[in-house]
Amino acid sequence: MPISEQGYTHWTGTFAERRFPWWPITRLGIRMAFKRKFFKFAFAVSFLPAVIFAAGIYISERLEDFQFMFRGRRGSTTFLEVNPAYFRSYFGGDFLLFMMVMIMVLAGAGLIADDLKSNSLQLYFSRPIRKRDYLLGKMSTLAFFLLLYTLVPGVLFILLKLIFAGSLKLIAHYPWIPLAVVLDSLLITLFFTFYTLLISSLSRNRRYTAILLFLVYLFSDIFFGIFYGIFRKPGFCLLSIKANLQQVAAALFRVKPAFEVPWIYSFLILAGIALACGLVLVRKTRGVEVIR
Amino acid sequence: MKSFTRSVRTLASFFWFVGRKSRRTKVFVLIGALPVLMSLVIQANRLFTPGLSVDGPVVFSNIVLTFNLQFLILVLALFYGTSICAEELEGKTLTYLTTRPVSKPAIILGKYAAYAAFLVLVVAAGVTLSFLVLHIDRLGDAEAWLVLLRSLGVLALGLLVYTAFFTLVGTVLKKSVLFGLMFSFGWESIVQYFPGATQKFTIMHYLKSLLPAVSTGGEGSFAFLLFKLEPSSPGAAVVTLAVLTAAFLGLACWMFSRKEYLFED
Amino acid sequence: MMAVIRAEKLSKWYGNVLGLSDVTLEIGPGITGLLGPNGAGKSTFMKLLMGQLRPSIGRVTIRGADVWNNTELFADIGFCPEQDAFYDELTGWEFVVRLLSLYGFSRADAASKAERALQFVELTKDKDRPLRGYSRGMRQRLKIAQTLAHEPGIIILDEPLNGLDPLSKRKVIRLIKEFRDAGKTVLVSSHVLPEIEALTRSIVLLHQGKILAQGDIPYIRDLIEKHPHKISVKSSDPRALAASLVSQASVQNIQFGPEPGTVVFETGDRDTLFGLLPRLIVDRGIEIEEITSPDDNLQAVFDYLVGT
Repeated sequence: MPISEQGYTHWTGTFAERRFPWWPITRLGIRMAFKRKFFKFAFAVSFLPAVIFAAGIYISERLEDFQFMFRGRRGSTTFLEVNPAYFRSYFGGDFLLFMMVMIMVLAGAGLIADDLKSNSLQLYFSRPIRKRDYLLGKMSTLAFFLLLYTLVPGVLFILLKLIFAGSLKLIAHYPWIPLAVVLDSLLITLFFTFYTLLISSLSRNRRYTAILLFLVYLFSDIFFGIFYGIFRKPGFCLLSIKANLQQVAAALFRVKPAFEVPWIYSFLILAGIALACGLVLVRKTRGVEVIR
Repeated sequence: MKSFTRSVRTLASFFWFVGRKSRRTKVFVLIGALPVLMSLVIQANRLFTPGLSVDGPVVFSNIVLTFNLQFLILVLALFYGTSICAEELEGKTLTYLTTRPVSKPAIILGKYAAYAAFLVLVVAAGVTLSFLVLHIDRLGDAEAWLVLLRSLGVLALGLLVYTAFFTLVGTVLKKSVLFGLMFSFGWESIVQYFPGATQKFTIMHYLKSLLPAVSTGGEGSFAFLLFKLEPSSPGAAVVTLAVLTAAFLGLACWMFSRKEYLFED
Repeated sequence: MMAVIRAEKLSKWYGNVLGLSDVTLEIGPGITGLLGPNGAGKSTFMKLLMGQLRPSIGRVTIRGADVWNNTELFADIGFCPEQDAFYDELTGWEFVVRLLSLYGFSRADAASKAERALQFVELTKDKDRPLRGYSRGMRQRLKIAQTLAHEPGIIILDEPLNGLDPLSKRKVIRLIKEFRDAGKTVLVSSHVLPEIEALTRSIVLLHQGKILAQGDIPYIRDLIEKHPHKISVKSSDPRALAASLVSQASVQNIQFGPEPGTVVFETGDRDTLFGLLPRLIVDRGIEIEEITSPDDNLQAVFDYLVGT
């Protein structure tokens, strides 16, 4: 029997083809997010609107049990009617959108910035990972959280309403709600994903990208508020990321939007921003940095 | 004392030079120019929409100043104030400073001086250009220029005190940006509208007490900014702000001298 | 020898983790090598020495003055940190000149010193390039330039030869020896034992936060009784040589080496064995081609003391 040399030997096996090469990147991104102390708090607080709206759905089916809450206030229970406007209120809620920006700041600001800082892109691209796997992995990290606050609660609301009502009345009266939930969730997710990753790729400094993420969102809304306050022209709502998201949500759920501006303009602006972000992002993520 | 002030001056010059060359400086200069853009849009709308009753001075005091006072200087001070300590730690360049014959307080003060000067310049330029754009048809109005000067003074003071505060925050806390955001858009934004003495627990209260309309007894243009304001006297406001700036910087210097900073590997 | 750097019962805890324990040493003019495996406490000692950390117990002084919060000491100290970190917005020239300004030099003085330092590390051609465009080796050379530019009397170098090509390494080693000859105090920390050996025979060996050995390399080697000295002899008749010496009390072990003609003797008394060898050449006519001490070096000292 031959004696094998106990030194380095070249492995002659074959690599197993991973079906989702981006999955380890996503898994790491999610794990790293939860390692941050503040993130856990923000993660929990962001579920508050979902909990409140879910409670509202329950109360809407048990109004007689909760009459004490509305005693002496006629017509005050209309806000608990679970209709498209109810869903739009959730998906277009200021608090929810703000908390999602905070989640993006905490979980997303350093997704690419930290890789740039530690020169990890070279390590990533020296593995059998393509640029699209890398970007998909990073996007999926953000999509995980965003869908948790949009699609999951949206579907849950529909299910809860059907269960508590004991009938398919909701779907029968408003058959577009499930599709609207899915589409609006995807819109919010895709937009914030591209937006966050682009800003994260602009610098190696996570603090700087965190502030930029917050700043752009906040200032877009401030400028809208200022111009609308002066000129009273609804068209200025196109300046605000938040207002655009709310306009499209209103269109998807077929409710009256807050501003008399065709929703398609808001959609095109959001899509344009996302596309521009995507194009710049693809250019920014390179294994080798070109110094000029 | 002489060598201390010389160290501060040298460090200020060092960081002014470094900051000038930084890419993000250009970004923040652009951010500082946002009010100018806003003013241009407003004036353009006025020109092309006849009958629009929008007064330049009103827009300047109600909007441009509000934007600067309640948002822009907070964000700029937050970033640059926390950067004083944080960027040396993140970039692992702190060693180059602390192994030079310059005292640790001089490092903090020198960097603060450089960054505060830059911020004052950026904001002053933005506000002045906005003023020119919005007062283009009444540049001869001396009172308007006094309002501008007074406003510049208030904003400069605001930048000094907020940058000092965030310098302290950045020296003490690791997650300084998050705390800073909560302070700026939580505490400062809300408590300033509380009645009585409570609003005196915000820096914004003292800044607003120095606004021109408060001292002249009128409301008018600044009505929006002065909502629920129970102002302190201008003298007391200036003294309080100066004391706060000195206290924040003093504490930051003290903390920085005593703390041990380890780079994250 | 007057101690320039002195540590007295120096200890440092990071929470519950002991970084350095009861280190007492003196470092005087000349070159001293600080070595140890990963986690030995070298970085902790360097940080304590440079005032980055405050001692938990004990003190560390430079020229009799406590280091912590005593930045005036640094006027005469040059420190080359291990981290590859710079103000990337600056050029090499700007980096050195601006740091020199912190010493209080005038603009003209700072410029001439910077020029000299950059010339020495051969970065004059690239001095106006942004630092973010520098290669690893260039960045390391720049770090050395900023360490030496103000001509300090005490030089502390943390892994100074990292990333340098062999020519640059030789040049830096030569320069450090010039500092020694000029009476300066140099403390060099490194993982690479041959580099330390090329620089100095005086070492401080740290292990698990404590000083394991300190002093001259051969002197330390002699003290390691557990590991007798190995003497390798290459001769025309190794078996006859071995047979001649096997009866000697000073010879503890004999092994035939893998190379033809080589026999390795282990002895606790090198001098006696070296005295016997010439007699064998004359009396027995055994031709000896080569005599070496394979473990009379820093690597052996390190291996024997730290243990594998």
